[in-house]
Amino acid sequence: MPKTKAKPQPESAVAPAREPVWRVVVANDPVNTMPYVVACFVRVLQVDTAEARRLMLDIHRNGKGVVWSGARERAEVLVLQLQQWHLRATLESDG
Amino acid sequence: MAEIRLSMTPEARTVLGDLLRLAAPAAARGAVNRARLPEDDPEMRAAWKASLADSAAGECAFLAGALSGAKGNPAVVVLPDDEAAWTMLRALSAVRLTLRETVLAGVPDEALESEDGATPASGLTAEEGHALACYDCFGLLQLALLRQLDPAA
Repeated sequence: MPKTKAKPQPESAVAPAREPVWRVVVANDPVNTMPYVVACFVRVLQVDTAEARRLMLDIHRNGKGVVWSGARERAEVLVLQLQQWHLRATLESDG
Repeated sequence: MAEIRLSMTPEARTVLGDLLRLAAPAAARGAVNRARLPEDDPEMRAAWKASLADSAAGECAFLAGALSGAKGNPAVVVLPDDEAAWTMLRALSAVRLTLRETVLAGVPDEALESEDGATPASGLTAEEGHALACYDCFGLLQLALLRQLDPAA
């Protein structure tokens, strides 16, 4: 039985769209105390105290820092929650 | 169960409670104004604003009620559960931010960064001095509550 050659599939001209990565950015502020910010991160971001402290110190030293990145929906929820804790949280994307 | 003991006269607590009720609308406005909101969805933006304003106003009302309802001398504020303690922590933050953005707007940051209750005495008006006393007091309350919620932190 003759072998049939598989017909080559045309390559897609358009690469599949990459989902943009959304970042939750928190800016330093002079009002909220360091222990309060650490507690916020533990509660809202569900990280342990050591990681929360690392994030807080990064923000304190650099003026702001990325505390989470991923899908937009989750990032929006986290930004709203951090703002409800009165932190200066914003949403950024690379898209 | 979180518990805060306050050495305050009943009159001082009443005045503070009244001040907090007055501060609640400013705290709600401040929570919305300082937040950067998503710009591409007007419906979501409106819901976001309402959520921030409602939570800040509710926290301030909770704090006012907790202080004015404190019993004994020194007054003892007993919070029913950890969730109430977290609400109080957020309220204290909301009020401190409101004081910073209103009465204390002209005071430099370095004058406010003390966490040991030491207030810079010189160069402040009486109103600023009172606001700074509240600002420091609420910061100390926050630290005391956080220590109770997580002594290891």
